[in-house]
Amino acid sequence: MATLAQPGPDTGPMRPNIAKAGLQLPAVKDYAQVDREIMGTLHPTRGWFILLMVSVACLGVGALSWIYQIHEGLGVAGYAPPVMWGVYIVTFVFWIGIGHAGTLISAILYLFRAGFRTTIYRCAEAMTVFAVMTAGLFPIIHLGRPWKFFWLLPYPNWRLLWPNFKSPLVWDVFAILTYLTISVTFLFVGLLPDLATLRDAEKNPFRKRILGALSFGWRNSENEWRHFARAYLFLAAFSTPLVLSVHSIVSFDFAMALVPGWHTTIFAPYFVAGAIFSGMGMVYTIIIPIRKFFKLEHYVTLNVMDAGAKLTLFTSMVVGCAYMVEYFIAWYGGVPAEQDYFMNRVFGQWWWAAWIMLTCNVILPLSLFSQKLRRNPTWLWILSLFINLGMWYERFVIVVPGLSHEFEPWQWTGYVPTFIDMGILIGSFGWFFMWFLLFIKQLPVIAISEVKEIVPPRLKEAASHGGGH
Amino acid sequence: MSTDSNNSAIADAIAAPVKRRDFLKAVGVGGAAAAAVGCYSDQVEKLIPYVASPDETVPGVSTYYASTCRECAAGCGIIVETRDGRAIKIEGNPAHPVNRGALCGRGQAALQGLYNPDRFRSPMKRQGGQLVATTWDDAISTLSARLAEAKKNGSAKDAVFINQHEQGSFPAFLDQWLAGFGMPGHIAYDAEAPLSAIAANKQVYGTSWPGYDFNAARLIVSFGADYLDGWGLAVPQQLAFADARAKIDGAPRVVYIGARRSLTGINSDTWIPARPGTLQQLAEAIAAAVTGRGNADLKGAAERSGVDAAAVEALVAEIKSAKPSLLMAGGQGPDATAAAVAVNELNKALGNVGQTVKPAEGSLAFDGLASHAALRDAAERMAAGRVPIAFVRGADPAHAAPGAMKFADAFAKVPFKVSFSTYPDDTTQLCDLVLPDHHSLESWGDAEPVKGTLSLQQPTMDPVFSTRATADVLIAVAKADPALSAKFPANYRAAVAARVGGNAGLTAALPTAIAHGSSLPAPSQKAAAPKGGDAAGQGDYFLQVYQSPVLGDGRGANKPWLQELPDPVTKIAWQTVVELHPETARKLSVEQGDHVTVTTAAGSLTAPAYLYIGIRPDTVAVATGRGHTEFGRYARGCGSNAMGLLGVAEDMRSGQAVLAGTRAAIAKASGHSKIVTTEGSARQHDRGIAQAITIDQFRAGETGEHPHVFAGQASTEFLPGLRSPVANDAQGDLGDPNSAKKGQYDPNHWSGVAKRRWAMVVDLARCTGCSACVTACYAENNIPTVGAPWQGPRLWPSDTGHGANILRGREMAWLRLERYFEIDREPKDVEFNPAFDTRVIPMMCQHCGNAPCEPVCPVYATYHSPDGLNVQVYNRCVGTRYCSNGCPYKVRYFNWFGYGEPNRSQYAFPEPLNWQLNPDVTVRGKGVMEKCTFCLQRIREAENRAKLEGREVKPDEFTVACAQACPSKAITFGDAADEQWAVARMVDDKRAYHVFEELNTYTAVVYLRKVNHPAAAGSAAEAR
Repeated sequence: MATLAQPGPDTGPMRPNIAKAGLQLPAVKDYAQVDREIMGTLHPTRGWFILLMVSVACLGVGALSWIYQIHEGLGVAGYAPPVMWGVYIVTFVFWIGIGHAGTLISAILYLFRAGFRTTIYRCAEAMTVFAVMTAGLFPIIHLGRPWKFFWLLPYPNWRLLWPNFKSPLVWDVFAILTYLTISVTFLFVGLLPDLATLRDAEKNPFRKRILGALSFGWRNSENEWRHFARAYLFLAAFSTPLVLSVHSIVSFDFAMALVPGWHTTIFAPYFVAGAIFSGMGMVYTIIIPIRKFFKLEHYVTLNVMDAGAKLTLFTSMVVGCAYMVEYFIAWYGGVPAEQDYFMNRVFGQWWWAAWIMLTCNVILPLSLFSQKLRRNPTWLWILSLFINLGMWYERFVIVVPGLSHEFEPWQWTGYVPTFIDMGILIGSFGWFFMWFLLFIKQLPVIAISEVKEIVPPRLKEAASHGGGH
Repeated sequence: MSTDSNNSAIADAIAAPVKRRDFLKAVGVGGAAAAAVGCYSDQVEKLIPYVASPDETVPGVSTYYASTCRECAAGCGIIVETRDGRAIKIEGNPAHPVNRGALCGRGQAALQGLYNPDRFRSPMKRQGGQLVATTWDDAISTLSARLAEAKKNGSAKDAVFINQHEQGSFPAFLDQWLAGFGMPGHIAYDAEAPLSAIAANKQVYGTSWPGYDFNAARLIVSFGADYLDGWGLAVPQQLAFADARAKIDGAPRVVYIGARRSLTGINSDTWIPARPGTLQQLAEAIAAAVTGRGNADLKGAAERSGVDAAAVEALVAEIKSAKPSLLMAGGQGPDATAAAVAVNELNKALGNVGQTVKPAEGSLAFDGLASHAALRDAAERMAAGRVPIAFVRGADPAHAAPGAMKFADAFAKVPFKVSFSTYPDDTTQLCDLVLPDHHSLESWGDAEPVKGTLSLQQPTMDPVFSTRATADVLIAVAKADPALSAKFPANYRAAVAARVGGNAGLTAALPTAIAHGSSLPAPSQKAAAPKGGDAAGQGDYFLQVYQSPVLGDGRGANKPWLQELPDPVTKIAWQTVVELHPETARKLSVEQGDHVTVTTAAGSLTAPAYLYIGIRPDTVAVATGRGHTEFGRYARGCGSNAMGLLGVAEDMRSGQAVLAGTRAAIAKASGHSKIVTTEGSARQHDRGIAQAITIDQFRAGETGEHPHVFAGQASTEFLPGLRSPVANDAQGDLGDPNSAKKGQYDPNHWSGVAKRRWAMVVDLARCTGCSACVTACYAENNIPTVGAPWQGPRLWPSDTGHGANILRGREMAWLRLERYFEIDREPKDVEFNPAFDTRVIPMMCQHCGNAPCEPVCPVYATYHSPDGLNVQVYNRCVGTRYCSNGCPYKVRYFNWFGYGEPNRSQYAFPEPLNWQLNPDVTVRGKGVMEKCTFCLQRIREAENRAKLEGREVKPDEFTVACAQACPSKAITFGDAADEQWAVARMVDDKRAYHVFEELNTYTAVVYLRKVNHPAAAGSAAEAR
């Protein structure tokens, strides 16, 4: 780690674990400490209950809004034709994007042997699963007849009706379902040794049985470890292309339509970079409070934060570059409708949204060139909120201004979301955080087994050094 | 079908709380109980055939009745389609001499009058201040008793009967009845009538309305005559105008003189924006300059009219050279009649009479029309308490008369007021007794639109409610009086039959409803002295109140189709606005939608401002037609009544109310409302949607505008014409004449795509933008109206009031009329310049051969049919709305609410409006996409008919609803794959273009460029 402020203590000859290369947790002394500290986060607290109640309340708002919308019709949302897609699709892409950072951290960085992923990947992977679960609701919420959503699935029926495999929305169905399946599997497989650890520490016989079943009777044998490592590596390799493909397919929802500002070839890489960027934002939004309130600063160290911030900065610049290319091609391509659209987006009707996006996604992240700010959790947390906002607006700026300013000037229009749109948006956050909060009190947010691999071998005998703390 | 008063027992039963459907349901319960076992639905619905089927009626097959339209004075012939005893569509009668098969939007909307949910369902009587339902026996005996008393005490001679002016025998019949009770003749009132032109026509041509031959003219000059807006005979004039303009080379140049560019104005090549109230000076000066007689002070007249003297001089030169020409004068200023006389005299002097103005072929539509002064005179008598009994039928003077007349106050002073109106309009709500008339589609009548030709009106269905034809009520009342009994026929049907030689003649005439013969001559109206009055008043601006081309004087306001139909010029629906020029608005610091108060000597009106570039900066305009206090759920409280701004001043020569030229003050008021418009941008932004060429370019063989940076491939890579319905990748090597590979175009290909492609041609040289096609589309395709205040979201709506859904662009018009101004900046930034071109273009689903909407649908709810249609399957649609995103034409419409579900507030067809629904077309459910189908049901009907008769579909055998209705004959529909269809020939026109051809959507709708005749080109043509 090039930016290590202080050289770590000489920990002697390390076990060869190249996947964890470069990560040093000097304050973590031994396995018992790891078990104690990480499993110690699983006890519910009053603050946690309050947050859970808030999340459930938000979810309730969203659920009521949706029920009302199903009953009345989509007219209660803010759609203003031809702006036929609005907050729901924006939020769908937002959540799908969030998921990508989790997979990037847990899978791609694993393959790249980036050690800093070790203590944040579990959190990120869980975030992926819950984000995809959230995102997956929106294509249904946004349907005119949501009770017919299964018609998008290719199920056998006597009418021999199949979905239209030319439609990007059908690709979406496959992409999301694949992504959800792989993410859940990957998360679960990674949890196996930790589930066994929890099982061993569990006193309640009922819970012990459940944990035992979930851990597939993990016995910590050499064979199990070998199969586990292979499976994990295989799943990581399997997930890696999904990081690129899922959001490419989501971007095709737009790129395949004949809408100025949508119909462009840059969308796939642009969306993938944006997805990772937004996911990094959400990772910080989540991990910084966890690190603070669970007192895990010595696991998720400033070095880890620093390394992640560099990835954030990099993706921010890729996204910024994509914006520039979009504008350049619009100008260079010479299609008047396309040029009109970008003028209207940046300097016309939607200037405010476009500048929220540019400020949050391109300008503010430039602060990460400063090492001081990269190592300042408070700033990183504030910045992460801006990134979340900015990335939501990025999708807004693509979806809404595109539709509101198409080829036919007679049909140019505006768009204002209603309280139903907002209720469902809030509900989606409630849904996501409800799952996340339930998760962090049931399962360890930091991979116990992977951290243990970092703990120096000569410190394994806690007794010989007089214990941990 | 016959409808006599003895039907009223049945009608009474219908009006009773048990509805027909409930009754049938009850009848069906016995049998249905068994059938219902195992069924989920709790609603038992049984199809019950007629016990005794009427002759020639087949369930599910339409029966057509010819009749006469009564929505305005013109008297167009109509064909009413009925299905299982209910009228479902009105179309023009192709055999009729007036409208030749076309019909305007107002005429088609008569159905929503017939099925209006707010019609009186029975006679009403005032008891304790309220109108309460009563029986016909009671109502008629009440009226008889009152009349007998009035006859006896002699007060009958002061009675007043105000009847909506109509053609035919009824006015004479009415006067006969009135005379029988010692009452004076009725007042035939029509707030829409062009009284000044009529007076001038009588004076100069000796007829109230001559025939205008637009086709023969080389130059058409309108002095405020809005011949496309409802001035005179709307449909025949538009037909003639479009025919004349469609000649292209040799088409007349059109000049419009008036303070505001109306629909007529925007269809003119040149606009001379004369100040309101100065038409007389201008007309007289022009006449003098053309004829060389009198004071030809063109410069002075131009200066007083506020127009460019050079333009007037050019016009004079043009009138001198272009022969024959057609000059018409309308206008509603205090000088309108004088101006019209001058113009008519000029027609005479130019020798146009007999060539373009044909008094011998005139219309009788405006014979026997009372002047506005007669109504005011009656109101004054009422106010003075000198009228013991007043009757009103059809007319609604409490709404349509100028506010200063205070007609409602005067009317309220009459001790006994009787209304025969079938709607609860503003005047009827003041009455003591309501004897609701049948709708014109339920009753007998006649009209004589052209001398010697009778146009008959027959009932097309049993009455919807317990109403009775007024004529039959009058007969019943007369029969109660022994002195009169013998003088009246048994019923009015007999009176109508007598005009055509009895029952046999009637039976013979009814299939076309046209007969030789004449109606009873219209009784002459008692003259009333017009009252001048100072129209000038106070204020820096001139007020021009104009007749809404859609709602007329307000009689259309209770029909949601018409409320929802955007004004052809302003594109505003469900709202009254004050039209200001942007220059004026800047001066007042008013932005579009800001409320402004217009104050005249008579009253004031506060409404949102609409910035219109086609109005003089010193003039403000307000349309009539809205601002009812009653008149049913759709009209009540919608907009403001412009008539409230008007004083009682009348044109001294004709007794016409002065609508234009009143002085007004304008002030910015507090408040702002969004404008309920369907317009996104008023400009095309060089997108080449509505294209035009000048006549010089056309003659030079140029194709006109090249708006696209990139040319599409359609012209190079597809079959000529419109024969290839799919993209070129399915065409094989069709472009290579030596190749045998024809892909799907192999005539033997299983898909059959080579055999047929339904297509449409829209001639923009003909289209005026009148929007009759839009109403036709609503009627044919069960399109819901969505603008009523209760049709939006119910919980915390962000937009409320009339047009809330339209503010969010949720109107459902499958076919919309786009109106673009050719200006180089936004209208709000425009300086006043009368020379701007306006383009109108009907935009509907283009049925693209290479449709961007089709591949994106995840469930195949939209796909391509082998005969070239882009088909939408409502039942398969899940509502992703992706197709709409893909569509570059933005012609797909989504059901945001359950507009077709009776238990919802958004329901668009409250009983009995739903009786009109076309049984061949689905009423779409909540959450599905819909769009123009090219009237698929009509295509299939024609195909099925051909199949049953063992033949192929004949060329031009049928057409779609919009094409059928179009009063400009601008739309042609047919099979582009078959040379014998007209459409296949028209696509080869050199004016043809596809909208957004560069997108390679390869549309099935081809537009023919509009042809403009700029001044220089016109004179060049003369020089040739």
